[in-house]
Amino acid sequence: MYLFEYQAKALMREWGIPVLEGMVATSERRALDVARELGEGPWVVKAQIHAGGRAQGRVDSADDLSGVEFTDTVLDVGRTAGRMLGARLATPQTMGHGETVNAVYIEPEVKSLAQLFVAFLVDGESAEPVCLASVRGGTQVERDVFDHPHSLIRMKLGSGSEISPAVGLEIASQLGLRISVRDAFARLIQQLHALFMAYDLSLIEVNPLAIRENDTLVALDARLTVDDNALFRQPGMAALASRTDVSQAEELAARYGFNFIQLDGDIGTFSSGAGLAMATLDALAHLDGRPANFLDVPPVLEVSRVKEAFLLVLSNPELRCLLVNVFGAGIMRCDTIADGLLLAHLEQPVKVPLVMRLAGTNAPLAVSRLERSGLSIQFVSDLESAAKTAVEHAHRPALTPKPQSITDRLSSWFSRTRTGSGP
Amino acid sequence: MSILVDPSTRVICQGITGRQGTFHSERALSSGTPIVGGVRRGKGGATHLGVPVFDTVAQAMEETQANASVIFVPPANAAEAIIEAVDARIALVVCVTERIPVLDMVRVRAHMTGSRTILVGPNSPGIAVPGLGTLGIMPQGIFLPGTIGIVSRSSTLTYEAVDQTTRSGLGQSSCVGIGADPVGGISASQCLNLFMEDQQTKGIVLIGEVGGTAEEKAAEFLATVVNPKPVVAYIAGQTVPEGRRMGHAGTIIHYGMGTARSKIDALREVGVKVVFSPVEIGLAMAECLRQAGPDSPQGQDKS
Repeated sequence: MYLFEYQAKALMREWGIPVLEGMVATSERRALDVARELGEGPWVVKAQIHAGGRAQGRVDSADDLSGVEFTDTVLDVGRTAGRMLGARLATPQTMGHGETVNAVYIEPEVKSLAQLFVAFLVDGESAEPVCLASVRGGTQVERDVFDHPHSLIRMKLGSGSEISPAVGLEIASQLGLRISVRDAFARLIQQLHALFMAYDLSLIEVNPLAIRENDTLVALDARLTVDDNALFRQPGMAALASRTDVSQAEELAARYGFNFIQLDGDIGTFSSGAGLAMATLDALAHLDGRPANFLDVPPVLEVSRVKEAFLLVLSNPELRCLLVNVFGAGIMRCDTIADGLLLAHLEQPVKVPLVMRLAGTNAPLAVSRLERSGLSIQFVSDLESAAKTAVEHAHRPALTPKPQSITDRLSSWFSRTRTGSGP
Repeated sequence: MSILVDPSTRVICQGITGRQGTFHSERALSSGTPIVGGVRRGKGGATHLGVPVFDTVAQAMEETQANASVIFVPPANAAEAIIEAVDARIALVVCVTERIPVLDMVRVRAHMTGSRTILVGPNSPGIAVPGLGTLGIMPQGIFLPGTIGIVSRSSTLTYEAVDQTTRSGLGQSSCVGIGADPVGGISASQCLNLFMEDQQTKGIVLIGEVGGTAEEKAAEFLATVVNPKPVVAYIAGQTVPEGRRMGHAGTIIHYGMGTARSKIDALREVGVKVVFSPVEIGLAMAECLRQAGPDSPQGQDKS
């Protein structure tokens, strides 16, 4: 679960980690007030979305507006906020058409002597949290690290819930930080680590961490991600999640425990198992098909959950075809999939062509049930032909052309009634 | 022979009385898997599915001489269940439970330092050895005793590989799902190593996924093997858009590893046949074995 920057910073402030005094605004008017309350400018106005790369992003309503803007006057703060709010922001890290900006975060702009990169995450190989740090903070950090691998300090932190200040001092010395900031840096590392462990975080990324003229440190940006699997014991984090803006579809998916990601194509996909779901997307992409979503329905016994998953995928207005690829195994049986689809169809008639590849447990039973239902389904035996058929459907003109004049409708009705009785 | 499981394996199930534990233990028993008991705190002394239930793993091992455990305990208690089994010095633990918090697995791995227990998973479909049984949730009826070793990070794609090697008549020596969680037990490299040493195994299928560096590490391992058996690999997620959930840090930590491209390149570099669709796994394996020739069961003349 991704926290908005303002949520992350509120949490950090609570833990005594240095951040600037910023405030959230959800309207242009409020943005003006916030700017005045924060005192003299200049100010930074930052779009609050669940993705990074905001400074390189573009707001869809304007070519000249990114997700992080520096402003000199109160009026400018208001105007910038007004243009960001309600618009969609696409960055190198967002999916599809980007994310809607429902809030902006306004902070005073500060001068810094140096900008560091500091991150915490779990290293799968050594099975422990690690701290990554570099003196080359900023948006170009990835390229810098690839170009200068030695500039990255990587410190293993063990599995304990606390680290000693010596760890931070060691990192500071490896980074070559000035002596006068090392103590503050070590304290910050210790606090960030404590935060990471206390809230079951899977990522902390402070980029940049600014060193200011008076040798103090301040986190200018903060990205916190909570381990979704630990939300059951992090009620505070779970509560934040319920207030954050995820797409309605993704919220629904989360409620039922599906892994769902909205994409911008027109071929709906339905799979069980993340691997198979990815393989399905791969197969479509190889044939120039454009998946409308990623969906992995974990093995379930309840038909109702399968139904919800179908309704979720089918609710996408861009859909021109639905590809179902399921290998029934374990508790996931193909007949459950069939029943779920039939229930979904009862609730919301399926309007797009269906291509289904069912294999494994109870596949023949599922196929016979679906065949009797009268739904128009093409059954295929393997993933490759499934992908091929789905792509053909997607490239075909839509089954029901949208805007039709009365003359068009009449003439099409006329030709339909005629064809059956022709010579 | 097989890997990880053999005729001396005696299995207990932690969480046997739960819904999942019951469902899969029943199926495993019916296919002949030697499940000799179950563990469920507070239900010791009961009998479930015809096998005795114990309060602790240690008691179950004492009474049944079990040497392997399959875990179906809910995520919140799964780490403790693994630790209990490790402390009881059981030889093999298969953890089927998915959605265990990462920091719990960090704790488990730290606890396992110096332990001889082999952990498979978590989030693993388990191990299947045709003819011996299944530890976990792999489906019945798709296996065929044979010569292909399968190691996979993805449950459902494991079944694809099994299905194809069954259809092509090659069959499987053993099939291991290692799970795709960020922190887990046995690695792909360790499984490859076991398969390389296993007499019955003539070829190996490796199914990977984007993310992590298991496949790159597997390639590093394969580079050290003299006369390796043929390996066919498929990497899922070649075209899945990067979610960038782990930010710059997620990219930086592996220095460019972790992408499908880097995995495919690394595996090709060491002579692995990488296929672009799971549909091609069976045929590619058959072709590799044909090239290796009937006189080179170890694939010595692979070049």
